[in-house]
Amino acid sequence: MVISPVHYIAVPLLAAFTIPLFAKIHKELTRIIPGIVLIYLTYVSYVLMSKVMTTGPIVEIIAGWKAPWGINLVYNGFSGFIASLMSIMGLLIWIYSYKFKKVDDEPALKFYILFLMMVAGSIGITITGDVFNMFVFLEIVGITSYSLTAFYRGRDGAEAAFKYLLIGSFASVFLLLGILLLYTHVGTLNMAQIAERMHTIPTSVKLSIFVMFAVALGIEAEMFPLNGWAPDAYSQAPGPVGAAFSGIVVKAGVYALIRIIFTLFDIEGSLQFLIVMGLITMIIAEVSAIRQTNLKRMLAYSSIGQMGVVLIGFGIGTTEAIFAAIFLMFNHAIIKGLLFLSGSFLVYNDDKKQIASLSRFGKKLPVVSFLFALGAFAIVGFPPFAGFWSKLYLLLAAADKNLIFLIAIILMVSVVEVIYYLRVVGKLYFGKEESKIEPKKPAFNSLIVMLILGAIIILVGVYPDVITGFIHNAADTLSDKATYISNVLPSL
Amino acid sequence: MFGDYQNVVTMSVYGSSIALILIGLYGVLIKKHLMKIVIGLSVVDSGVNLMFVAVGYIKGGTAPIFSPSVIDSKPLMVDPVPQALVLTAIVIGFAVTAVALSLVIRLFKHHNTARIDQIKSLKW
Amino acid sequence: MKKYLAIFLLLIVGFYLIQAFNLVPFGANRVGNIDDESTVGAYYLKNTVPKTSVANVVTAIVVNYRGFDTLGEVTVLFLATTGLGSILFRKRKHGEEEERVLKESSQLVKIGSRLLFPFIALLGIYVFIHGHLTPGGGFQGGAIIATGFLLMLVAYKNYKLGHGALTWIESLAGITFAGIGIWGLITGGTFLENNAFPGLGNVNDLISGGVIPIIYIAVGFKVAAELTGVLDILLSIKPNKN
Repeated sequence: MVISPVHYIAVPLLAAFTIPLFAKIHKELTRIIPGIVLIYLTYVSYVLMSKVMTTGPIVEIIAGWKAPWGINLVYNGFSGFIASLMSIMGLLIWIYSYKFKKVDDEPALKFYILFLMMVAGSIGITITGDVFNMFVFLEIVGITSYSLTAFYRGRDGAEAAFKYLLIGSFASVFLLLGILLLYTHVGTLNMAQIAERMHTIPTSVKLSIFVMFAVALGIEAEMFPLNGWAPDAYSQAPGPVGAAFSGIVVKAGVYALIRIIFTLFDIEGSLQFLIVMGLITMIIAEVSAIRQTNLKRMLAYSSIGQMGVVLIGFGIGTTEAIFAAIFLMFNHAIIKGLLFLSGSFLVYNDDKKQIASLSRFGKKLPVVSFLFALGAFAIVGFPPFAGFWSKLYLLLAAADKNLIFLIAIILMVSVVEVIYYLRVVGKLYFGKEESKIEPKKPAFNSLIVMLILGAIIILVGVYPDVITGFIHNAADTLSDKATYISNVLPSL
Repeated sequence: MFGDYQNVVTMSVYGSSIALILIGLYGVLIKKHLMKIVIGLSVVDSGVNLMFVAVGYIKGGTAPIFSPSVIDSKPLMVDPVPQALVLTAIVIGFAVTAVALSLVIRLFKHHNTARIDQIKSLKW
Repeated sequence: MKKYLAIFLLLIVGFYLIQAFNLVPFGANRVGNIDDESTVGAYYLKNTVPKTSVANVVTAIVVNYRGFDTLGEVTVLFLATTGLGSILFRKRKHGEEEERVLKESSQLVKIGSRLLFPFIALLGIYVFIHGHLTPGGGFQGGAIIATGFLLMLVAYKNYKLGHGALTWIESLAGITFAGIGIWGLITGGTFLENNAFPGLGNVNDLISGGVIPIIYIAVGFKVAAELTGVLDILLSIKPNKN
């Protein structure tokens, strides 16, 4: 059996259906099997990515019906890169959460199934080539996210999940209406064929379809003003799930939004729209972040702000800017992953997750605090960490297009970012009095994951060439719409 | 706008599904009781589903099934794709409603009330 | 104040939706000429009978052309059950029996439900076995069977559902669906390809359409088990004692 993109979906699904049966044999299997699946997905990513880099995009048809009659999966430089990133992050978070809950506890069995399907659903959003199929995967991610947000009993998880569910339902209603309207005008659901027939739709209709898609996907991509769910969901969900939200789920939302804008629609001004929305999102999120006293909420707002920067990068629209934006997405996944994973240990024993309770944790939890500080330095873009390069490339791309105003705002917001991250790091090392809360010592597997992420951050920072080849390829595939269409529909 | 018969029919069919969507959204936005919000969500879903079926209809078309009596005559049939899509949409709507109801139960047990204005962290 | 703002907002949304759908006249033929296959709808109407031997075009789309969606849809249901179990999980004290909120029904309701139940189940099974020939299919049939179980759950306060059996049915049906998909890959075709049997049979025969009826029967069992599971979880909540 040749490895093909459909393994990303088929294998996790088969595993999820079998786990309840394996649980009857031995309970430990319920958390081992998702891990094996995630290892396999990482291997699939390795095989497919090397294929894509040498021989070009892979288009897989499903059920034997060629596009546009059936559903197809498109695995090219961009979607492949994001899918690989997601499977690696999924694997790391699985290792981190391995001893997360006792297995004889019944919800623990469900945690791993839900987590596995959240990763698989996000990958599905990125590799599918069909708009309705994207909706189905979006709902898989939605259902798992709501359930995982409400996972803990003691916290206000149910409130956060309910809020998330309401906003998510708005998203699915608008997405469904948008898909329906699109279908009535072009008579197809295949993305490539929609792109090819887009010019036949009158502009006013095109605009209203675009608004529906932008609202729906903006919710998943944490675009202002549709991101009300994010801070609650991030702060109430279990630590690993928060990391998965910012590293995997939001990436899928941003990917879908970008795919829709760059491939499906050819509306004048949609890129300017991205820049404006990105700017508003970034400014509001960073200003809110500085006012937070809760560490997880602060990280959540910072995550929203970073997504704003990513949107700005895509909005500038040149290949260099897209390159910088994809680089930022990658950096955000690993760095925010590290910050959430280490941060959830720092505030583990504080019910309110206050930043104030971190005073002088540098002594009690030296390694975790060090890694958190490393992540903080990396995300604000200090050299020689990974975040530095993506920010530099973004500013250079903006300078190329003479967007001085934009550069000034990004730099100003970066200063805000530096202030609130340094405040936390300062608390960790130079807090006034020692905190009374006893920290929780991280388990061995969690520590390993954090160290791996830290090592990746330093490696990419010192030697960015390990990753830039993939990202250049991704940026080139995204900006080349004609090739996308001819790959999927060779006969046209 | 309501010049001819066709337009009246268009408006009344689409109008009723849009009305369902708006009524449901009104319930979600204004009502204070969690159960009413969940009911609002399912009303919105019904509106969207009705819209799907309405859009797929072709005047004079039959159901897209080639049963023995019609397989040779090949009559005009309605568009099968929206009908297939709406099946998926209904099932997903059911799943979301089930999760929403379970969250309502959790909230009710935790706060002893299902009114949104008495659950502090739900105000926004 | 907030109320009027919301109504204003909704009116804008409504106006905008009417504007958008006004250009899509009701009842107009958007499928186009079936023979030139310009839309997917036309392609399906033209090719379903010759290429899949399935009489019901909607079934062919749901299970075969867009079978990947259906697999995802079944997964959404499965995840909803799983998520419900995780959200509403409650530690049982040792030896504590499950108890439902409902009151005990009258004898008449009990006997009546027991009489009706086999017929409801039979109707459900009929609907999903004939999914490729007549209106209906796995989802519809599964939902009918689940209403039968709902009737029993409402009538009998302590109606015992075999949880082990539900898990087995759910998992085996899911494995059948995903397994048929992977079988297509193993035999050198594509995922979910309809190539497990040498011939597709004659249109309008009960045994026709290759794997399509098998998948729909699996979906029927799975949906029935999952909907019943959801109903059971939601009915087994203990009320607050105060």
